Amino acid sequence: MKIETNEKLLVNVSVVGSVCQPNFQSLPAEPYRLDSNGSPFLLPSWGSIVHNVSIGDSAFGWEADCIHPGVSIKYPNEAGNRGLNILSCVGNDATIMSGEAKNAKGIVTGKSGRFSEQVIVHFPKKIREKISINDKILIKSFGVGLKINNFKDVFCKSLSPQLFNKMNIKNKNNKMIIPVTHIIPEHLIGAGSGLTSESGSLHIQTTDSSEMTKYKLDKLKLGDIIYIENYDSSYQHGFLRNAWAVGIIGQTNGPRAGYGPGITILMSSKKNNAKAKLESSANIINYIKFIK
Amino acid sequence: MIPNLKTNEKKLIKMSIGGYVTQPSFKNPGYIPDNDGNSVILPGMYGVVNNVKVGDKAFGWNGDHIEPGVSIDSENINEHFALHYLVCTGNKAIVRSGEAKGKTGIVTGEHARNLIHFEQNILEKICVGDQIDIITHGRGLKLLDFPEIEIKKIDPNLLKSMNFKVENKKLIVDVAIELPIKIMGSGAELNSEYVDQDLMSGDRSLMKKLKIDQMKLGDLIVINHADHRWGRSYKKDHVSIALCIHGDSVMTGHGPGIMTIMTGTKKTLGWRINKKANLKNILKIKL
Repeated sequence: MKIETNEKLLVNVSVVGSVCQPNFQSLPAEPYRLDSNGSPFLLPSWGSIVHNVSIGDSAFGWEADCIHPGVSIKYPNEAGNRGLNILSCVGNDATIMSGEAKNAKGIVTGKSGRFSEQVIVHFPKKIREKISINDKILIKSFGVGLKINNFKDVFCKSLSPQLFNKMNIKNKNNKMIIPVTHIIPEHLIGAGSGLTSESGSLHIQTTDSSEMTKYKLDKLKLGDIIYIENYDSSYQHGFLRNAWAVGIIGQTNGPRAGYGPGITILMSSKKNNAKAKLESSANIINYIKFIK
Repeated sequence: MIPNLKTNEKKLIKMSIGGYVTQPSFKNPGYIPDNDGNSVILPGMYGVVNNVKVGDKAFGWNGDHIEPGVSIDSENINEHFALHYLVCTGNKAIVRSGEAKGKTGIVTGEHARNLIHFEQNILEKICVGDQIDIITHGRGLKLLDFPEIEIKKIDPNLLKSMNFKVENKKLIVDVAIELPIKIMGSGAELNSEYVDQDLMSGDRSLMKKLKIDQMKLGDLIVINHADHRWGRSYKKDHVSIALCIHGDSVMTGHGPGIMTIMTGTKKTLGWRINKKANLKNILKIKL
């Protein structure tokens, strides 16, 4: 059965951010972060324009710490940045408003969490060299307030109707059947628990490599839609039996304990009203038209 | 150059970062003490230097810590550190504002700011405050057959263009000059991912005797018994390869600066003297 939403009642609001710089802490602190074995490492991390990693690529294997594919943006003041972060939804259209790449079109693919709080936007690889740090990017935000008819207990988060309508979700005996690439058990959820689910990211824990192989999580790709068992992200992120959350892989793995690939949560419910259906094609690149 | 030198280049991230062309600045009253205690005022550090370039001599200028080409930085302290930890020598630079907008240059090293070479006709169009973005590429670079050798802040293309040979499982790097560990000075207090270390040129007759006074900006150099993995310290049988990035200084404990690009032990890392081992030749830099 086809699923309908209140899409026609949603408000479409412009929000803007600027392409942000990579950041490191100042002296006398050392630049190194600690990996999960306690060894220091120094690698590129979140933010900026990443020229050679895109949505659809592997989330593992990069010499990087939770890198954001494509372009990351932020608003200079905190309240404005909260607006950008909360209202932007995965699948929303983005437009570059200044600089050499002015008027180029992109798509929101994820968000990042505490300490960075950026919105991640895909732009075609071939125009990325034209994009400058500080260029303004406007997002026509659309999705906050989204409700699914007959599933009033399901909270939608950072989820645009553009994406939802393409996710091939079906209603079967009053259960949402959601195509996903992977099912993640709740014990493998790390950084992000306890924080707000309206923006930010939740990270998979990847320190135990045998668990990665067991759940095939080492095959995760950026943009994969995934299902988390026994996890409630209705208001904040936390464990709850029989609850569920669905999200999109927004950023890559990293060496820190608790900081594997990042997830931007799209839907969650405390009720046992959804079922994951494993489909390897459940990736945003197969749902929304992307120029690579 | 070894065609089959294996690296993890394909796993590295290419990330943009912006900096701003710096303005020369002085502390009041402007004098610095030279080795003999005389007060002098000399140009040096920051800004756009129009007539000193990579490949030019490191000694003999009427300047102090002269930074060839364009020096960029960010006043935001966290961005400043990101510039230092991500920008690699050999990276591409793109001017984003002002008269030279759209022109490209190449990173030639790191001092207290990042140093970028532009061709002369571009250089004259660059204004203090202009934004220059660097497409950083190289952080995390590894030599897969030499896991004990640590590579620091060089673009994979620079690594591939350098002259190497392998002898008895030891990587031999072409360098222009060997510096004795005892003349290594200012910079020992910093972590070795940040800025550079000056050689101490105060013993002028020794500089002449060892021909160190013929050093050029952009020269590859080697320091024997130097461990530059986590800091810059004396350690017997460790070897560090570095790049000369700024000019001489009159101040005690200072001199031309070198930034680390490789560090390892004598078991796997060696060197061969080749006067042509200079960044200008390796990267075929046009003046």
